[in-house]
Amino acid sequence: MSIELRVLTKVFGDVLAVDDLSAVAQPGEVTALLGPNGAGKTTTLRMLLGLVAPSSGTATFDGKRYDELTDPIRQVGAVLEASGYHPGRTGLDHLRILATASRLPHDAPERVLAETGLAADANRRVGGFSLGMRQRLGIAAAMLGDPKSLVLDEPTNGLDPPGVRWLRGYVGGLADEGRTVLLSSHALSEVELIADHVLVMARGRLLRSSSLATLREEAGVGSMVRTPDPDRLSAALDAAGHTHRHTDEGLAVDATPEQVGELAALHRIVLHGLEGTADLEKAFFRLTQEPHPPVERPLSAEGVLS
Amino acid sequence: MKALLDAELLKMRSTRATALLVLATLVLAVLTVATTVPGVIEENAWISLDDPDLLANVVGNGFGAPLVLMTLLGVLAFTQEFRYGTITSTYLGEPRRTRVLVAKGLSLALASIVITIMTLAVSVACGIALIRSQDGNVTVTGQFWQTVGAGFVVMAAYGVVGVAVGALVPNQIAAVVGVLIWMLAVEQMVIPLFPEVGRWMPFAAASSLMQLGPSYGFDDQLLSVPMGGLVLVGYTAAAVVLALGITPKRDVL
Repeated sequence: MSIELRVLTKVFGDVLAVDDLSAVAQPGEVTALLGPNGAGKTTTLRMLLGLVAPSSGTATFDGKRYDELTDPIRQVGAVLEASGYHPGRTGLDHLRILATASRLPHDAPERVLAETGLAADANRRVGGFSLGMRQRLGIAAAMLGDPKSLVLDEPTNGLDPPGVRWLRGYVGGLADEGRTVLLSSHALSEVELIADHVLVMARGRLLRSSSLATLREEAGVGSMVRTPDPDRLSAALDAAGHTHRHTDEGLAVDATPEQVGELAALHRIVLHGLEGTADLEKAFFRLTQEPHPPVERPLSAEGVLS
Repeated sequence: MKALLDAELLKMRSTRATALLVLATLVLAVLTVATTVPGVIEENAWISLDDPDLLANVVGNGFGAPLVLMTLLGVLAFTQEFRYGTITSTYLGEPRRTRVLVAKGLSLALASIVITIMTLAVSVACGIALIRSQDGNVTVTGQFWQTVGAGFVVMAAYGVVGVAVGALVPNQIAAVVGVLIWMLAVEQMVIPLFPEVGRWMPFAAASSLMQLGPSYGFDDQLLSVPMGGLVLVGYTAAAVVLALGITPKRDVL
């Protein structure tokens, strides 16, 4: 099920929240809507889900608006905010209400609670849940209908590092099963570990639609290397023409990990750590800070912007 | 629609607030009954212990607090969803919002049947006990049964109007305070002070239907029973139509 935003615009009074946005999220991929706060990400997702009426344009799932879908809970799962729970209700009752309204199997709440690691807390009132547990409950609610598409608004908000790792694995697994995942985030560091495709937004406009690999290539390649013999490695890098600088974490080198590794082997220099880095953060800031012309819209669901 | 209705009833049952509200209301109903029977708490000039319609009036008066409760439960059915953000998942499950509104209205109408039965059980039992304690006349007259029937109608209407108000005023504090000020202050002042206008107000219409004019000191100022019923139905229909018109167009942010 592909998600398509076509010339989507939303105006709140004098504020242009989303401006002529066109993009596509494909099945089997995690697509990230990336942008700073106020970029229009949440409004875009709410228009997609029929909660906010677009001023113009359309947002569809396989060509159908959300309110045109048959059994929408079985087609699309969504997590929009961590506060969408009655604090006096148990997690299980919260899910039972959603399952009842959508005529889902009686065991669906227990199934998703187990999947999200909340089975032991099923009968606790949500008011006593941590923010991370609420995020998990939100994802459990989204997965109740075993949907083909998943829409997540800032899903890592409030999650601790193990929670983020769990979410990354869970969402990645869903995409691997062929589902369409569209999520929003303001943190590039989270997106780059989870997304296949990024839609960079700022001031309501789409600035860039690209695969993460392409963005990484454009951002330039680099390596972070740790060695007990930094002076010799530094000299070797100088001789090979690779610029570098000393940081608290080690030597930051403007070369691929393969190049650095081969050079170290050639000079018999011991390495304690070597990992690839790409200055995506810098590329992201460059994209969101500078004025940009709008990205051209795709002509069809198949034509992913690049 | 049945699935949505079941979900709405589960929402009501799954928080303690509903049970506490109902309990508090029944206590208030008992207190109202006690103040209505002459000699128990105070001497009431408007009805005597020998009046054959004493029980009907006692039971009718017992609906004062439950009417406020039904309205508040209706208001909370929507405003709590806005307050806690659960309206998002409700609309994601059923994006056709008018169906959600209708399900909430029906759930309140069903809940009103249960709460009306509880109110009647408490009011009748306490009323009979207190009237007997004062050696009063316990007679089940035609007016008693009319009051019972009207009680079911009025309670359902107030619950549905509450839902419509909650849909129109999503801010919970504003909606609850507004309803309380309207029911407990505005109507209570306007009806006796300006009866020509006040008799057309919802509470006056409900009182007409339940034949409670004398007990509230309104005597002949209220509308006839059928006209009171019509006015109440008119208010309910107007509130529902307004809510049905606005709810689908409102952005959920």
